Amino acid sequence: MKLSEIIIPKRINLNLKSTTKDGVLEELVKLLNLDTHARETVLRTLLAREELGSTGIGKGVAIPHCRSLVVSKVAVAVGRSKAGVSFKSIDKKKAFLFVLIVAPPVGDPPGDYLIALGTVAQGARLLTKDKRFKKIRDIRQFMKLIKELEE
Amino acid sequence: MNPQLRVLIALQDILLLLRDARDPGQKRVLGKMGLKINKLETLESTKADLERQLSPSILSQYRRAIQRHGRIVAPVIKSVCCQCFVRIPSAIDSAEDRNTSLYRCENCGMYLYWVDK
Ligand SMILES: [Zn+2]
Repeated sequence: MKLSEIIIPKRINLNLKSTTKDGVLEELVKLLNLDTHARETVLRTLLAREELGSTGIGKGVAIPHCRSLVVSKVAVAVGRSKAGVSFKSIDKKKAFLFVLIVAPPVGDPPGDYLIALGTVAQGARLLTKDKRFKKIRDIRQFMKLIKELEE
Repeated sequence: MNPQLRVLIALQDILLLLRDARDPGQKRVLGKMGLKINKLETLESTKADLERQLSPSILSQYRRAIQRHGRIVAPVIKSVCCQCFVRIPSAIDSAEDRNTSLYRCENCGMYLYWVDK
């Protein structure tokens, strides 16, 4: 599984406007294009997940995630904040890159979900480490950089 | 969306989150990614808050179903109940009020939620 294979260009927002954790989560969930109820449910479950410990994994990356009944397949959305957002990350630094993963409840243990999380964690850290990351201007450049780093 | 169905779905997501959080295998895998899990008690209180929003009869059905199957709501995907994999009768599957009324699977008794309606 590669990061470039699970990210869909129309689910990328390179200019997140929010300055708070809750706001970022809302903007990310919006990218999944769910109906109102599903969106509210996912948001509530994500917030509950954050209560267990921040999904800010350091190096400027956060990977908010949950499993929810309201999706039928793994859905991924990507956001970038130019100014960075305090996400109570493990290294106490701001997060700039956010990769949201919502998976259906099937699978016990949830193999695909954990593999997707691992792929995202690894790929996202490579991205924020690269000097070109902050200079990316459009989604095409973003996808190109991911593919390059994967090679 | 039916208000009781909304609560049941929220509860089921929370129960799954609790189950995942308590699974030592998952905890180990997540830990390697830099994801620490703690403060389960906050989640327990969220769960209790949601349970208080259920009507007495649905609450007792919920408790029985959770004990027996670990869940109370089954997603319906492509006209099939994802708990028992039995096809939902077409009159119900195409009903206007699915998700706004409460429907249960005639085979396994799960409350039904149509995903990607
Ligand atoms: Zn069934």
